[in-house]
This record gives sequence, C-alpha cells and structure tokens, in this order.
Amino acid sequence: MIYDIRHVTTYGYSRTVPFARCVLRLLPRDDAGQSVQKSELAITPRPAERSDGLCFFGNRMTMATITKPHRELRVEMRARVTVERAPAPHPGLTRSWEEVAELALGSASLAPDSPAHQIYPSRLVPAVPAVVAYARESFGAGRPILEAASELMARIRRDFTYDPDATEVSTPLAEAFAERHGVCQDFAHIMIAGLRGLGLPAAYVSGYIRTIPPPGQKRLEGADASHAWATIWCGPEIGWIGLDPTNDLIVADDHIVTAVGRDYADVAPLDGVLVGPGSQKIGIAVDVIPVG
Amino acid sequence: MAVQGRIRSGRTTAERRATLLAGYRPLPGSYDEFIDARGSVRPHWEPFLDEWCALTQGELGQRFGLADRHVHDTGVSYRVNGDLDARDPSAGERAWPLSHVPLVISGAEWQTISAGIAQRAELLSTLLDDIYGPGELVAKGLLPAAAITGSPDYLRPLHGAPGAAALQLYAADLGRGPDGRWWVLEDRTQAPSGTGYALENRLALTRAFPDMFRSMNIERLAAFFQGFRAGLVSRSKRVDPRICLLTPGPLNESYFEQAYLARYLGLLLVEGGDLAMHENRVHVRTIAGLKRADVIWRRIDGDFADPLELNARSQLGVAGLVQAVREGQVHIANGLGTGVVEARALMSFLPALAERLLGEELILPNVATWWCGQPKEREMVLARLEDMCVAPAFRHAGTTEARPVVAGELSASERDALRTKIATQGLNYVGQEIARLSTMPVYEGGRLAPHPMTLRVFAAATPDGWKVMPGGFCRISDEPDARAVSMRNGVRSSDVWVTSQTPVEQVTLLPTADRIPIRRITGTLPSRAADNLFWLGRYLERGEAVLRSVRALLGRLIDADTPAPGRIKAQKQLGDLLVSWGATPSGKGQRAATQVHHALHSLDDYGSAAASLREARRTASIIRERLSVDAWRLFGDLQRQLTPTGERPLPEGEAYELADRALKTLAAFSGLSQENMVRGPGWRFLDIGRRIERGIATCRFARQFAEPDASSESLDALLDLTDSQITYRSRYMIGASLLPVLDLVMLDPYNPRSFAFQVDRLDAEIKALPSLTESGMLEEPRRLALRLAADCRTVEADRLDRARILLFEQSLMGLSGAVADRYFLQNGGPERSRLTGIA
Repeated sequence: MIYDIRHVTTYGYSRTVPFARCVLRLLPRDDAGQSVQKSELAITPRPAERSDGLCFFGNRMTMATITKPHRELRVEMRARVTVERAPAPHPGLTRSWEEVAELALGSASLAPDSPAHQIYPSRLVPAVPAVVAYARESFGAGRPILEAASELMARIRRDFTYDPDATEVSTPLAEAFAERHGVCQDFAHIMIAGLRGLGLPAAYVSGYIRTIPPPGQKRLEGADASHAWATIWCGPEIGWIGLDPTNDLIVADDHIVTAVGRDYADVAPLDGVLVGPGSQKIGIAVDVIPVG
Repeated sequence: MAVQGRIRSGRTTAERRATLLAGYRPLPGSYDEFIDARGSVRPHWEPFLDEWCALTQGELGQRFGLADRHVHDTGVSYRVNGDLDARDPSAGERAWPLSHVPLVISGAEWQTISAGIAQRAELLSTLLDDIYGPGELVAKGLLPAAAITGSPDYLRPLHGAPGAAALQLYAADLGRGPDGRWWVLEDRTQAPSGTGYALENRLALTRAFPDMFRSMNIERLAAFFQGFRAGLVSRSKRVDPRICLLTPGPLNESYFEQAYLARYLGLLLVEGGDLAMHENRVHVRTIAGLKRADVIWRRIDGDFADPLELNARSQLGVAGLVQAVREGQVHIANGLGTGVVEARALMSFLPALAERLLGEELILPNVATWWCGQPKEREMVLARLEDMCVAPAFRHAGTTEARPVVAGELSASERDALRTKIATQGLNYVGQEIARLSTMPVYEGGRLAPHPMTLRVFAAATPDGWKVMPGGFCRISDEPDARAVSMRNGVRSSDVWVTSQTPVEQVTLLPTADRIPIRRITGTLPSRAADNLFWLGRYLERGEAVLRSVRALLGRLIDADTPAPGRIKAQKQLGDLLVSWGATPSGKGQRAATQVHHALHSLDDYGSAAASLREARRTASIIRERLSVDAWRLFGDLQRQLTPTGERPLPEGEAYELADRALKTLAAFSGLSQENMVRGPGWRFLDIGRRIERGIATCRFARQFAEPDASSESLDALLDLTDSQITYRSRYMIGASLLPVLDLVMLDPYNPRSFAFQVDRLDAEIKALPSLTESGMLEEPRRLALRLAADCRTVEADRLDRARILLFEQSLMGLSGAVADRYFLQNGGPERSRLTGIA
C-alpha cells in the first residue's frame, strides 16, 4: 500500500515569541516492511538553525532554532510511504512468554532495536503493580507470547473507553488505567507497562492509521489523526510485532510508523522551549490518503 | 576506683595517654583503625597520639575552638534534605559537623588504596567508552545489555557523542572489613561531591594542629586540585578556556561546596539560567553579552542537563546542550553519560571485566554483588536471602525499595514479598554481602570512642594520567552498628591524614608565572551575579537607613529631659518614617519602644532592619563565591546582633547601643568592599545598588523632614539621618536652617551622603560598565544617569520643593529599572515555557 501523508501543526501564541528551540519527530522512518519514498518538513518562520538527523532509536529528528519574532509557528510534514509488511506469524506458534523474557534479559546487543532497551520502566511508563496484575491474567504458564499479548490487546479494547476528552498528554498512566478510559496514547502506555512488568520487551510507536469513511460519505479533508500503538518483541526469529490496542489489530499495511521509542517522551512529534509565549492554541490537520 | 580517679585527673602526657586508651573499647567483630587486635596502638597513630596527649584538656579545647571557628567563619555548611525554603536559601543550612580526630593512614597502606582507586577509575573509564561507543563488551557476552539499559543514567542521546563518556573526577566510598582489607562500597561517577569538604576539613584541622601537621609529614592536597584543574583546561581547544562550574543552585545540599570550589579553582559559578545557546555553542549570559563557555564542570545529574533531549522536566540545564556536545562545541565533565556505571548491577561484573580489559585483578575488590537479572545469580540470592543485603540494581523509580535492606531483619511476610519481587522482577535487584565497617576514634565527652566510618576517595583525570587525592573525606556514623547498610549519610565527617616517611613537597594552587597571562579584570560577570550584587547593595543600604532612623529616634527619646520645641514632632516623624517603610506596624498609640523593637528585630515586618539584612544575607549566599570570608563573617555577626534576646523591648539605652553596633558592622562591610574588592564590574553593581538605595532614602528623609516650615528639630533629625551633622556645624555657625540643610543633604556634590553625590557616583559607575551598542549611542541606563546628574547640578536649593524631590526619587527608581532591564536576567532567566504536547 502506498500512502500520501500530510500533517500540519500550527501553534498560535497570544504574545510574540522572539525565540524558540524545537525538536521535531514528524518525518516517518524507514522500518521493517515500510519505506519512505519522499518526505519533507517545512517550518515557518524559517529557522535560523536547523539540523536533520537520526535519534538513538533511528527515528528522524529535526532540531530547529527560530530567532525571528513570531505569533504563529507552522510545521507541515508531507511524505509518500510504501507499506508492505510480511504477514504476522501464527500467534499459537510463537515462543512461550517466559522464554522471551529470559532471552530479552540475556540479550547481547545494545543496538537500537535490542529488546534490552524495552524491558524497564521509563519516564511515562512507570511500574504500576495494578497494571501488571491486569496483564498477568492473559499470561498463563507457557503460553505463546503473541497469543497472550493479542488477548491482552483485545481485553484493553473491550475494557477501556475511548474518550478524547478524558485525558491529556500529561495524564499519568495509573490514572487512565484506574478510570479505564483514554486515547490511543494511554492504551499503548498501559499495554507496554503490563508487558514490561512481566519482563517482556514492549515499545511505543507513533504513526498513522488508514481510516475508511462511512459508506456513502466523502473523506473529510484534514480529518485523520495521528495514532499510537505498541510493538512487542517475540524472540530473535520473529523480532518486533505491532499491536494496536485501540483497534484490537495486529499491525499490518493499514499502519504507517513514524517513530519508535520507550514511550511518548521519546517520540513526541513536536517539543520545544520558547521564550514568553503567553497562552498557546494548537491546530492540527492530518490527511492519510491511500494512493495505490 | 581510686586508681581510675587518679588517672582521670592525669596531669602528665603518660597519664593522659593511659586514660585515653583505657576508655577505648573497639567493637567486637570489627577492624579498628586505631587499636590492633592485641589492644596496642597501631604504629602510624603513635605520633598523633603523642602530640594529642601532650595537650591538656584546656589546650585541646582551645584547638577545637580554632577549628570550629574556622568552620563557622567560612560559613561551611551543607543543606539538610527536605529542609528547603525558597525565600531563604541559608535557612536549611547546617554548620558542618567536623570531628576533631582525623583518620590516620600510613603511607604504605595508602599506596594500595591509591593504586586501587586509579585502577578502578581506569576500568570504569574504559567500560564507559565501550558502552557509549562500540558496545563490544556486550556483543561478546561479557556484560548483559540489560545490566546497562536498566540505568536511568544510561543516556541514549549521548551514544557516540564526543566526551559523553569522559570521566574526569571519580570517587569511591570504601569500607574496611574485619580482615583489614578495604572494599569498594559504591562508585561515584556522575558528579561526585566531597572534594571541597575534604579541603575544608583539612584547613580546619590544620588550623587546630599546625605543629602536628608538620611533624607528621602529612600529604598535601593542593597538587591534586592543580592536576584536576589542568585536566579541565586540557579538554578545551582554546589556550585560555572559560571553565564554568554548573550548579543546581543555592537550594542544593552541597551548594556551599560548589561555591567554595569555584572560588578555589578560579571557575565561573553558573546556573542553567546563566547559560544560553547560540549557533550550537554554549554561552554565559554576562553583563557584556554572551560569552562562550568552553568547559563545564557539572554538579547536576547528566539527565538534567538538557530539557529538550533528556529529562523534559528539568529546570536546571539548558535546551540544546546535547546537540552542542554532539558537535564537539563544549566539553562537559564528567561526560553527561557517566552516571551509568554507578549502578550496583554492574559491580558483579567488574572483577571479570578488570581481567579482560586491563589484564589485572582488582586491587580493591567491591563488595560481593549478585545481579538478580541472571537466572543462576537470582537462584543463589533467593537461596541465601536471610544472609543478604538486597538493594536496587539501578537508581530507579521502578523499585519501591529506595535503600538497601537486610533481608534477615524483615518480618516473614515482608521477606516473602521481597522473595516474590526478586523472583518476578529480578532485574531490578542485587543481592550483596553484608559488609562490616571498621571503626575510628571520635573525641566525645573528654574521651575517645570507636565509631563506624566510610572513606570517600577521589581520582582526577589529569594530563599526566589518574591522580588520586592523598586524603579524602571520612563519614562517621553515630550508631554502634558497623554494618555498611546501616550507614546513613554519616552524621560527622573528618579529615584523612596520609603520613609520609619523608617531608612532603609544598604545592600551592598559585600557578607558575611563566604559564599564566596577566589579567587585571575578569570580564565575565554573569548577569545573575550582577543582579544579586546589585540587590545585596540595596538591602544593605536599606538596613542601614532603618538602623539610622531607629538610632535617631532613640537618641531623642533618651535625651528627653531637654524638651526643645518641635522635639515631639520630630519623634513622631521618625516613627512615621519607620511605619511608611514597613519596618514597624502602623497603629495609633504604639509606644516608641515597641516600634523600635519591631524595626530592629521583627522578621515579619518586611522593612525592618532584621528583614532587610536577612534579604541581604540571602542574596549574598547566592553569590558566596564572590565574597571574602571576612565579608561573609559580618553577615553572621549582623544576624546575631539583630536576633532579639527576648519578647520584651530592650531599654532605650541598650537598644541605642545595639543599633549603633549594627551600624558599625555595616560600616565594616562598606570598608571591606571599598578597600578589598577589585574595582571590577562586580564591585560596581554592589556600589550601584547601594547608591540607588541611599539616594532614594535621602529623598524620603528630605521629604519627611524638610518641609517649608520645618523646625530646627526636624532639620536636626535630617542631618542625623544623613550623617551630615558635623559638616553642617563646621560650615554654618547658626542652628539648622532649611536652605543650607537642603543644599548640604540634596545638592552638595562634595558631601558623600548627599543625593547629588550618589547620582554622580552612579553616572561614573554606569559609564564604566561594558556597552553593547557599537553605534556610539548611549544606552538607556547611562542616558538616565546623565540627565539626573545634570538636573542635580543645575537646580538650586530654593527651588527644591517636595514635588521636585519626589521627581528625583522617581528618576532614581526609573534608573534602577533601566539597569535591571539592561544587565540582569529577568525572573532568573528568559521566561521559558514548553510547547504543549500533541498526540
């Protein structure tokens, strides 16, 4: 599947901002089963300094310093991405989860995709005993990892309410868990916390999902959204498999990966330090258009 | 009993020795540093004991007094955690608890420690280079990746960045086991503290026992610091690099130490807010604009150094620092990523790594450690749990146990819970052997008693390789429990004396003449320091004005038997002045004595002398590295003087004397700053602060007392307040009369207390400050100062009504604002905020 993606973010400030230093992680990465044909990131006002590179995890990262006084910051990302993932393995035929945990613990790699990076609590995914206990229900002794993890994903989809007004980026995981509601980011974090609590490697993925308008309706421009899910390591043979607890889906060709990290903080699309902005108003418009 | 009684009152050296030894009982099962197993004094302590016993009880007391006064006078302090008060950074500070008996270590034994520390520093350095570089140790299976990735100090953004893993200063906490061997209890690679305290302990004890110090050939510390500094310099490509010490700020528990070291080593003390990024280079915001920082010795955790790429919640660092490090634009010591090897999980791998990387056995072993992330080790720890100390494997929020616990001391249910956690979350735990510490003598209640202790030792990377500080820093427990796990932060500290067989070489930190370019003014005054110096000047002067008013009021109350006409009114005016300054509460019928009591002592009245001088002390504590020891001492004196002795107001005579004494102390501070401070920008900001405050106070005095129909009593008070009484009398044979008084107090440019004099000084000081404009145009502060000076020169006394004086006062306030806008950080730095996140 080939996608054209357009992601426009605008920040309006109530006061003039004379200086901003930002880090942007909006350009999609090349990934297993995914290649980026072309991509560009336009920043207005034009940064005085800009450098494009890769972060530790191999995500594309742009550092920009804006010294021109401005009341609005506009960032527009455009990309064409081809997604063609290998079919997921049969869940019942994957290694037992205990085996996977020991393999991860004994990993002899510090490479960005090593499972060793994804077994410990991280800033936004702390160890919450209640979450681990919830996850454990799906992990009977000797159960194949992908089978157990898929069940956990299905349970999150069933037990939690999707509610964009219930949480914010800063809502702690434990709170979203206790209330059983949240958005894709919360569900991904909760799933990762449960898996890591069992010693299993699980990472956070930011990206997009293809949406299909209801029958008979036209696709609304800018109505798509960015998305987030989890990816789990199933052993050295299979590697990482994406699981989307918001939709109860094993990630295939409808998902486009932007970045992978330990949690949202590693992959935040736009972060920065500003001088004197007063209040901020954010506008986001996303289009994910399948082109063939 | 009779015999003991005689010995106790011993008069001779031999008797005192016998008393000391008779009372000293080492703890069973522990090594004692002072007495061997047979009960004899260890030979390297003999010279110390001889000298000690040669002193009478009284003489010892005097020596201790010298050391304690040194500690007190230099303001050596540390902050007790959880005792923070943002309004007064010096509030939670405790005087440094110095134990007067040093730890004596023989030169021969020290060689082993020193070699062991240097070896360990080298090993950890090599390990760090590999972790942030090729990762071969992990790839070859010598170290599980998970033993590294579990550390919150493993900073992935620094992977491959130059200098990210560079270890400049390493510290280890050592303990000595019952068999006499030294063990490493903890490694400190992040931002080790304690070098400054070691130096301070040394200075204090040297003061107490100078003769002992010479005769015992104690190794000196200065060469170590010289090497450390040379190491920092060598990290920069520039010949004369600007080196900063990055502090978390005055609320940090070891801020004193940081300020002290900055001064001792000649570094610029900066906070994150002082730093700014420009073209991916780090700069210090100074009064002369941005100045490049070449090397930063950080005392903040690496994770806090950059809110953009590291911990987003940090307020201590500067956004973009990691990028500058990556591009090799700045060197940070220790490298930002170095904290990772502090993890206990790594300790279990060090013996094997030493053999592999250095081809050597560890000279100083670490305490036996098993990381429960490995199946075999986990089983072993679970099997022997009762004999183990269990500790978090990493500095991590992931574990509930913040501190090591002795599993054998837990209740059965607690132990079961711990067992489950180790079984399911083994990667977060290590099991460690329960280490026992040795004891050393502490002098208390006239006798020596053994106390458990740990020893912190330091190694610095110098251009000539690792250099180990010959000495260090002892932490002494007050508990008789000698197990290392019971050691909290240590309640007392002591100096460490390494004895040498031969006289030691004298080294000072004064550099040799041929290497150092001569410089007269250090140009870089950080804006924050300028800000604080300015306010220090203002608060000091404000306190002085209150004290003068109080003294003037008391003088009139005491002298009440000659009631001149207008006396009562002048008294009332003085009282009103104190009320309008917020020095004393308003309210009719307040007795003068109560008003005076408030104005002198009350910390609740923001305008009182005590409150102003508390603020002065607070500001001074933030720039302590810029004040001399003598100056700092005066703040202690002032605080003591203004602390009330009781609830009830003092009798007028005593209060008068108190105000008088406090004014003398303030005069001493002025004298010190006039005579001892270099006329650099720092001094100028202190002076600008004082002049502005004095000018404002003079205007207020004049408006209050120089009304058109002012009585000679009121004018007399004005002359008192402005310290112009004598000048007036020598010029005019008549009593106080309006126009001559006004001219002398407001307009006379030759009277150092006059308004005009302050304005002239201000113009001169501001003119001497660096300018940012290249167009030749005047900057705002100078423009205002010039205009005010011209107005002052051209106006005549008979045109000087209250409205005109008020205008002068307001101009001065405007000037104060212009100085702040131009030279200071606003609100401690640019107002920063973050982009709100989006999903």
